[in-house]
Amino acid sequence: MKSKRFDSTLLFILPGLVGFVIFFIWPFIISLGYAFVDQPVNGVFVGVQNFVDLFRNKAYLKGLMNTLIFMSISIPLNMFLSLGIALLVNKANKHKEAFTLLFLIPLVIPSGSTVFFWKMLFAYDGYLNYILSIVGITKINWLETSYVLFVVVLIFIWKNLGYNMVLILAGLNNIPKEYYEAAYVDGAGRFQCFRHITLINLLPTIILVLIMSIINSFKVFKEIYLITGNYPHSSIYMLQHFMNNMFHSLNYQRLATATSILVLMIAVITQFLFKMERKVSR
Amino acid sequence: MSHKAKEMISYAILVSISLIFIFPLIITVTNSFVTEMEIGLNYTTKLSLFDVLDQVSENFISMNIIPSQFSFGQYKEVLINQPSFIILLMNSIKITVPVVIGNLVISLLSAYAFTIWEWKYKEVLFFVYVIVMLMPLQAVLVPNYIIAEQLNIKESYLAIILPGIFSPFGTFLLRQGLKNMPMEYFEAAQIDGANKIQVLVYIVLPQMKSGIAALTMLTFIEYWNLVEQAIIFIKDYYKEPLSVFLSRIADGNIGVIFAASCIYMFLPFWFLIVGQKNLEKGIELSGIK
Repeated sequence: MKSKRFDSTLLFILPGLVGFVIFFIWPFIISLGYAFVDQPVNGVFVGVQNFVDLFRNKAYLKGLMNTLIFMSISIPLNMFLSLGIALLVNKANKHKEAFTLLFLIPLVIPSGSTVFFWKMLFAYDGYLNYILSIVGITKINWLETSYVLFVVVLIFIWKNLGYNMVLILAGLNNIPKEYYEAAYVDGAGRFQCFRHITLINLLPTIILVLIMSIINSFKVFKEIYLITGNYPHSSIYMLQHFMNNMFHSLNYQRLATATSILVLMIAVITQFLFKMERKVSR
Repeated sequence: MSHKAKEMISYAILVSISLIFIFPLIITVTNSFVTEMEIGLNYTTKLSLFDVLDQVSENFISMNIIPSQFSFGQYKEVLINQPSFIILLMNSIKITVPVVIGNLVISLLSAYAFTIWEWKYKEVLFFVYVIVMLMPLQAVLVPNYIIAEQLNIKESYLAIILPGIFSPFGTFLLRQGLKNMPMEYFEAAQIDGANKIQVLVYIVLPQMKSGIAALTMLTFIEYWNLVEQAIIFIKDYYKEPLSVFLSRIADGNIGVIFAASCIYMFLPFWFLIVGQKNLEKGIELSGIK
């Protein structure tokens, strides 16, 4: 039966789709399967036992908690700062491009290139402690005490502020100038303009920035790993450290279970935020 | 306060913040032109005999912006005398280049197909792409590992390269770019297969230059900065990409660290300088709407 014409669009979609299924969908389904059996080969279905075990695992809980703590400090701080700087850059008419360039530099240069600098800055005998010693503050062990969380938040903001800033600048650009002119005619002050025009119209962008920040915040592991190695201070022991250990001990069930939970959490949070974005966009 | 004064203050704030932001870059670049000996002196804190005589009890690392003696010594050492550095640089290239090219080709075809495809469920399929794209690396590492083991490529760069090529981000980014294009461009493509290729090559591609440039840059930056996959898949030190290796440079070899770092960051930095507009465009498109 040749009733249906062969759709040649398939030739364009297939190479990508086949690869996508082989390298993402298929192994993900397998990994989801591992989360419900007791061993990868000839496993017996154990229900949610792996999930129960995982939530009793101290290392996992530590990694999960630290990841959440890190996010809840760094994401709002970064959003607040990037909003502030974006507003300043937006006003610097002539030099807007130049300032944007400067803030994008940390985003593009590889983490490996600045590792030595960060180590030397935050070392116990490092440059930061030298500066602090000039003003009479005693040495702080930045990298080997819980102060390291502060260091990680700082580096995260340094690296990701530019990304948020570009998104916010684009959002600011989309606010029609007439809104401000109309408000000005009505006698609105600068603060009123900011609150009722800038912030309100920027809300969808801000939610978008929040979504991207959640996803990007996992990338901070690069810096943490490169600066503090396999055994960081316990306050920055992240989910990825836990997963690396599981890779080393080849504990598939645990890895698969942890992955499933992570996927579920990200999917739920982002879907919720997308819904919210659509609501405020209207 | 006058308008002028306010403007000056906001400029001053902006300039000081941006100086703090590029301080790591300034130190890394200027210190790459310092002699290895001076690096050794500035970046170690062991007390020398002179310190003891001077009754110095503690020593700090010092970062100088201006070298006391200008030298290309570090670059000469890294590029000519230490072949290991070149090997590791090649490793980074061997991983990044195939991913960038492969992902670009696959993403172009898929994004184009998603645009012209008339299938009821294409948006559902696209939604699956988006969900996978949103997953942080940590969530796809286990699937990556499982498939690498099944295909028996765990010990090779392919374990990193192949998922990179088929990563859904590029498809998403380019499709976002195509959305702004008038539909008439694609109507000619509804006829037959050969025509679709022609439409893609002669009509769509020239319009997509900035999207292609943006995707190339973003993929390059990501894979040039590869860390997580390297830790899991690469067991041999001399197969590591530069990113991981630079963090392992030990005390004996710190003399060349800044030149090595500069060479490593040169390409992405240069991309930013020549393609700032495209990179910004890419970031804007990557924000999901």
